[in-house]
Amino acid sequence: MTVRKGLLFLFAIAIAGMIAFEGVAAARDPGYKRSVVRYDVPDVVLVNQDGAKLRLRALIESGKPVVLDFIYGTCTTICPVLSAGYTSVQAKIGPDTRKVQLISISIDPEHDTPKVMKGYLKQYRAKPGWDFLTGSREDIDRVMQAFDSYVTDKMYHRQVTFIRAQGPGEWVRIDGLLGSAELMSEIGKTSKK
Amino acid sequence: MPRSLLVPLAALLCLATLLSAGLSPAAGEGASVPGLSRAETLRLGERIYRDGILSSGEPLTAVVQGDIPVEGTMFSCVSCHLRSGLGSFEGDILTPPTNGDILYQPWDSHIETARLRRGTMEGTSKQRKRTLFYLTRIGEFPSRPAYTDGTLADAIREGADPEGRDFIGVMPRYPFGDREMAILIEYLKSLSKDPSPGVTDTTIRFATVVSGEVSRKERDELLVPLDRYVRIYNGHLRRKTRKSTGARAEEVVRLLPADSEPRLVSLVVWELQGSPETWRGQLEEYYRKEPVFALLSGITTKEWRPVHEFCEENAIPSLLPITDLPVVSETGWYTLYFSKGYYQEGETAARHLARTEAPVSGGPVVQVYPDTPEGNAFASGFRDAWNEGGRAPLLEKALPAGTQATREILEEATGKGRRSVLVLWTGAEAIPALNAMTGGDGGVSTIYMSATLLKEGLLAVPEALRDKTYITYPYGLTDTGPGMMYAKKKVTPQITDRRVPGKAAAIYPVLTEIFSWLESNYFRDYMFDIVDASMLVVASPFERITFGPGQRYASKGCYIVQLSKGERPELVRKSGWVVH
Repeated sequence: MTVRKGLLFLFAIAIAGMIAFEGVAAARDPGYKRSVVRYDVPDVVLVNQDGAKLRLRALIESGKPVVLDFIYGTCTTICPVLSAGYTSVQAKIGPDTRKVQLISISIDPEHDTPKVMKGYLKQYRAKPGWDFLTGSREDIDRVMQAFDSYVTDKMYHRQVTFIRAQGPGEWVRIDGLLGSAELMSEIGKTSKK
Repeated sequence: MPRSLLVPLAALLCLATLLSAGLSPAAGEGASVPGLSRAETLRLGERIYRDGILSSGEPLTAVVQGDIPVEGTMFSCVSCHLRSGLGSFEGDILTPPTNGDILYQPWDSHIETARLRRGTMEGTSKQRKRTLFYLTRIGEFPSRPAYTDGTLADAIREGADPEGRDFIGVMPRYPFGDREMAILIEYLKSLSKDPSPGVTDTTIRFATVVSGEVSRKERDELLVPLDRYVRIYNGHLRRKTRKSTGARAEEVVRLLPADSEPRLVSLVVWELQGSPETWRGQLEEYYRKEPVFALLSGITTKEWRPVHEFCEENAIPSLLPITDLPVVSETGWYTLYFSKGYYQEGETAARHLARTEAPVSGGPVVQVYPDTPEGNAFASGFRDAWNEGGRAPLLEKALPAGTQATREILEEATGKGRRSVLVLWTGAEAIPALNAMTGGDGGVSTIYMSATLLKEGLLAVPEALRDKTYITYPYGLTDTGPGMMYAKKKVTPQITDRRVPGKAAAIYPVLTEIFSWLESNYFRDYMFDIVDASMLVVASPFERITFGPGQRYASKGCYIVQLSKGERPELVRKSGWVVH
């Protein structure tokens, strides 16, 4: 009986997720999908884990390689893997971790206060160069929409990573989850261009 | 431990394979770990599962996505499989159940799929459509045999099922030694095995806590609708029908699983008399006489702490009690509050001030509050949030209980003529003193007060003070009628009461969500897993309440408002719902 109950719950919940996403079938591929896209990032001011206000565009256009994802502090499944990936990038790029700008944007901005975000980054041994950003729900929605990643509820969260490419507004979009070497390779490709 | 991520079909396959394998005795009867008592084994297993800490005290290590090292400090089994072990969902990734009762039983996809198909013939039309949708979009689980200790250990270490199919990369591969593996497997066998207390073959028992000082009006505003909900719910179960007979009934029985074994609900009122110091004993006595599965709502004007601690220590869920004095904790698990109450108003004022939304002249920030539980809650919230940013020291003045904030006291606290920011956690009785002081020399540049303390006195803030007075307002600026479950109804914001009807009504959809998915998994932790994963939009007096894994304060916000000019002032919003 227990089996049925748990599964029914999972079923139902999975469906809810599927209703929200049309790309589910494609996601059956265990790999990841890479595409190059153009996004117009909104000029919003967000708040990082230290409570500092940061202009998102300025952070993105710093001239450094930029990696961006959407996570939240109490996320159960996707974010831990995305964030462990960030940790591994910082471990691999050497002592000057600032030379690659890692950005995590909260999709649960009401719960993710600077204090919560700071605690989260500590869990992942984050070093300078990794900013976790929150903001008003309206601004966060604008950012999610700009990156074609809008979800109506955090439980519909998708596993997507964005890497800033060389052209104006150009990004490499990675749908799916990467290994550490794969992520380093993708970052390398965009910086060499 | 296991963390399987799958895209739907892959997820299902993985689940099926995880559920499949070898020989296998019944779960829960395994030998304990050599050298450890069963209790100690389970304690250590729980620590691995929940905290990612090995029996040595070191964090566990694992690898995800092929080459990403992770540690137990980052996440552990519970992150995906949740406390109940019955799995989770996020985005398009399903994490399968990992409790022994499921792992150690064979899975026959034909039987289970047939059951689901039968489900499409029953229930509400919405339920039938959804069930059908699952079947057509997800497909069927392949059959598999039961797991054994050996195949389960292989799955945890190597990330492959007994038939050689790899789990996807998000399921960590754990290089556990034999001892750690044995501890963990024993724990998994105990996970969600025996139904929690408060459940009989026919009934699931709940209690609601009401303390003696609560007014008759508020008591009725809570208990009458709760009782009505229970009667409607039980009536529908008794008739063994899932057809709705009206909008309210539709809400109550929405999505009842077609093959569930629902129990009737019983609700008793636990009356607490006397001082809160004596409540613990009263709670223990009620529970000893008749254990309950969970506490629903409840109400007090005093601190909820005795009930909170009772629930934590007995692992009893407490859902949405009505209190302005909750326990503010980052580790509490078993009480889901509406908000942090007065503390949250204090926090919001500090954040608003720190964000310099208010004009700050460089003078000191002075907090004046009565030395009462209420005053201390406001003050703690402000202090904690203010100190987060390494800001200028906060000056504080605690007034002995019963002492009124006079002009002299306020002037002394703020330092006359220093252009200070005054954070004043008192009721409207302090307004004349405030007016006299600020009207005299303008020594206070900015004032913060609370709408819940000012009550009807909020509208009495003199016009001369309105520009400089910022008021915490913890509810939505449109209100919700108590009978409205999902739709926001615009009514004039009320200022004077605790919104008991709206808060009482907010528990209906939460309960319905729980009953929809609980089925016969009468495990308290699973109940919270359901609530945590819920995407419910619940109407309440708050602007918005949301749920999330481990989140125990549903309303995260509080407005800062000011009063407009004129004899009939309106509330003017000066902040977003959440101020960071």
